Amino acid sequence: MDFILFRYTINLLWIFLLLGGCATNINVRPLYQLNDIISQSSSSYREPSLGNEWLVRLTRNNGREKVQLVDLRSKRVVPLPGINRFDAQPISVSVNANGTILAVIHQRDDKTELIVYRRNIGSIQRILLEPRGIPRRVSIDGAGRVLAVQVSRDGKWDLDLIRL
Amino acid sequence: MSDVQRLPSGYLSNSQEEPALSGNGEKLALIVDKNGRASVQLRDVSSGRVIPLNNLSRHQPHSSPSLSWNGRYLALIVQRGNKREVIIDDRQTGKIFQVRISGGRTPLRLSLAPDATQLAMQLADKGQWRIELFDLSQNLEPDQPSGIRSASQVTSLD
Repeated sequence: MDFILFRYTINLLWIFLLLGGCATNINVRPLYQLNDIISQSSSSYREPSLGNEWLVRLTRNNGREKVQLVDLRSKRVVPLPGINRFDAQPISVSVNANGTILAVIHQRDDKTELIVYRRNIGSIQRILLEPRGIPRRVSIDGAGRVLAVQVSRDGKWDLDLIRL
Repeated sequence: MSDVQRLPSGYLSNSQEEPALSGNGEKLALIVDKNGRASVQLRDVSSGRVIPLNNLSRHQPHSSPSLSWNGRYLALIVQRGNKREVIIDDRQTGKIFQVRISGGRTPLRLSLAPDATQLAMQLADKGQWRIELFDLSQNLEPDQPSGIRSASQVTSLD
């Protein structure tokens, strides 16, 4: 009898695993107040990248898209002088852990450029891809020392790793 | 640019998309074409070695991978039936967490904070793109740079 009960329990366990998979549902809490403060209903937002207490995103307002950095502690948008040129269309953006370095891909004058912006000194460094290619998406590591870049090259997607 | 150093990336095969570095820069998550299915892959940056992701072999197409500081957590969008869902793989414990999204909204992009205390989601909501932040601090143990210890505990919701 004990053996039958054991087999029955094992079978039930297998059925449970097969039907439900191994995922555990978690109820993560939206940060309602913060979300309300940092977003406007009239704007559209995409391409989020989080540091620790920093959020960078692309914001579309009145038909124009720009890079926006939010300090999540003060809940304020931080100025990025020189990065949002009127003739540039941002495509992808990534921020390091402490929000000091941004990697940005933007299109300007029919060229797609990869740049690194250092907020503390206000510098913009253009990164040249070798061999040449068109960057599409970028990720920067927490310390701001390494970039991983998705690049269109010879009709396929390559991946370049660049140490700054 | 004299201060730009290219890392060897010849180990990477064709069609690599959506790169995401861990906070410490040692691991790289990306989307590769695996038998015609967009699948997440994790690699060690210095050696190029593929790190097995045993829990993530199903529910393709995968998209928008994101890693925490040491790569302990991997956040990912997966397809289950006709729904896109957000999961977080805790590679240390082997647990997979599914993040519930209310209101029938569709996740499009993810970003996990390096310390894994917050998750940012780009959501399609009534024809508009929005970004929402979610608090993970009650659910996940922080993934800090080595040497930094946290006093917080993992809260199990099982």
